[in-house]
Amino acid sequence: MAQIRTPARSQGARDASDAHIGSAARVRGRIQGDGDLVVEGHVEGNVTLRGDLTIAEGATVASETVTAHAVHIAGTLEGNLTASGPVHFAAGARVRGDVQGNTVAIDDGAHFSGRLECEFELPPELGGASQGEARARASARR
Amino acid sequence: MASTVISAGITIEGEIATDEDIVVAGTLRGKLSAKESVTIEHGATVEADVAGGSLTVAGALTGNVTANERVDLQAGARVIGNVKAARVTIADGAQFKGNVDMDV
Amino acid sequence: MAANVTVIGRTTRVRGRVTGSVDLEVQGFVEGEITVGGDVTVDSQGIVGAGIRGRRLIVRGAVKGDLVGDESILLESGARVLGDVRAPRVAIASGALVRGYVQTGDADASGTRAARAQPAARPAPAPAARPAPAALPAPAAAPKPAAAPIPAKIGRAEPPPAARVAAPLSNSGPRRPPPPVVPALRSAKGQIAKKKER
Repeated sequence: MAQIRTPARSQGARDASDAHIGSAARVRGRIQGDGDLVVEGHVEGNVTLRGDLTIAEGATVASETVTAHAVHIAGTLEGNLTASGPVHFAAGARVRGDVQGNTVAIDDGAHFSGRLECEFELPPELGGASQGEARARASARR
Repeated sequence: MASTVISAGITIEGEIATDEDIVVAGTLRGKLSAKESVTIEHGATVEADVAGGSLTVAGALTGNVTANERVDLQAGARVIGNVKAARVTIADGAQFKGNVDMDV
Repeated sequence: MAANVTVIGRTTRVRGRVTGSVDLEVQGFVEGEITVGGDVTVDSQGIVGAGIRGRRLIVRGAVKGDLVGDESILLESGARVLGDVRAPRVAIASGALVRGYVQTGDADASGTRAARAQPAARPAPAPAARPAPAALPAPAAAPKPAAAPIPAKIGRAEPPPAARVAAPLSNSGPRRPPPPVVPALRSAKGQIAKKKER
C-alpha cells in the first residue's frame, strides 16, 4: 500500500464544496475549509472547518486542534476537538484529546481518553457549579 | 409499600431523612428521621437515633427512638435505647433495654 | 420484604457514605460517596453529591463527583456529570452533559496509562476481552490484525447496560500477556494494517 503525500495544495483549501481525502492519501499540513471534509486517509496537521468533519473508519487524524461544526468519528482522532455542532463517536472510534462541544454522543464500544467540556448548570442542591469552578477543579487535579 | 429500601448488603454511615416510608434491612450508623413509617427488618443493624411516624422493629437497633404514633418491637428485635411514643408494643421474644416514655 | 436493590426514594436524603455489595437506585439525594459492588442507577430526579463506584453505572440525573464503573458506564440523556468518567466501556447519549475526564478501557487510577499508551500496548485489553467468543488464534494471526475493532464488536453485540465484556478481562489476563506485543513487532506491516483497520 503506497503512502501518498498529496502536494501542498491540500493546505489552505478554501473551497466551499465538500472536500474528501481518500483512503490512500496522506496529508501533512494544515487544512482549512468552509465546507465539509471527509477523511478516509491519514491527516497530520490542524484542521479548521466551517462545515462538518467526518473521520471514516480506518482513517486517522493527528493534530493539535481540530475545529468544525458537526463531527462524526468512526476512525482515529488524536488532538483537541472544538465543535459548534453535534459530536458523535461511533463504536470503534479511537479518540485521544479534549472535546469541547455541547452535544456529544459516544457509542458503546468507542475508545476515548480526554476531557469533555459541556456547558450546563448543576441543580441547586449541588451548588450549580459554574464552568470556571470546574476548570479550576480539573487543573488542580491534573 | 416502602419507597425507600436500604436492603441487606448496604451500609450507610450518616444521616437519612425522608418524607416517605422507609425499610431498613441493611446497616445504618448515624441518624434516621422519617415522616411516615419506619420498618427495621430482621437482620438489620441500626446504630442510630430514629425518629418517625411509626416504627416497627424486628432487627437490632441501638439508639433512641421517637415516634409520633406507635412503636412495635417484634419478636427477634433487639433494642437498646429509649423509646418515646404514644403507643408501644413489645412482643414476646423481643429484647429491649431502655426506658419507655408514653407521655406524649 | 428485603429486596436486593436498595432504593433511595425521591424524598429521601442521605448525608453520609453508602457502601455495600448489592445494587442501588438513587431517586433522591445522596451527599456522600457511594461504593458498592453492584449496579448503581441514578434516576432523572436523582442527585449525588460525591463520587460513585459500582459495577455498572447508569446515570440519568445529576452527579458531582467521579464515576468509576468496574464494567460499564452509561450516561443517558438528561444526565449532568461534573467529574471524571472511567470504565472499560463508556456510552454517552447525546443530551448527556459532562464536564470532566472520560477514560474508556481499563479503568486505572492513573488515566494517563491508557491515554499515553503506545498503540502496541492498546491491544492489551483486547485479547483479554476476545476469549468471550473464544477466538484464540486471533491475536497471533496476521490475517485478522483487527485487534482494535474486535472489542468494539463485542461491545456492540451486547446491550449497553448488560456489559459482560469486562468480566473475561480478569479471567483471561494471565492467559495471554505475550500476544499483544506481536502486532507491534510486525513494524511496518502492522502499522499500515493498523491505520487501515481502525
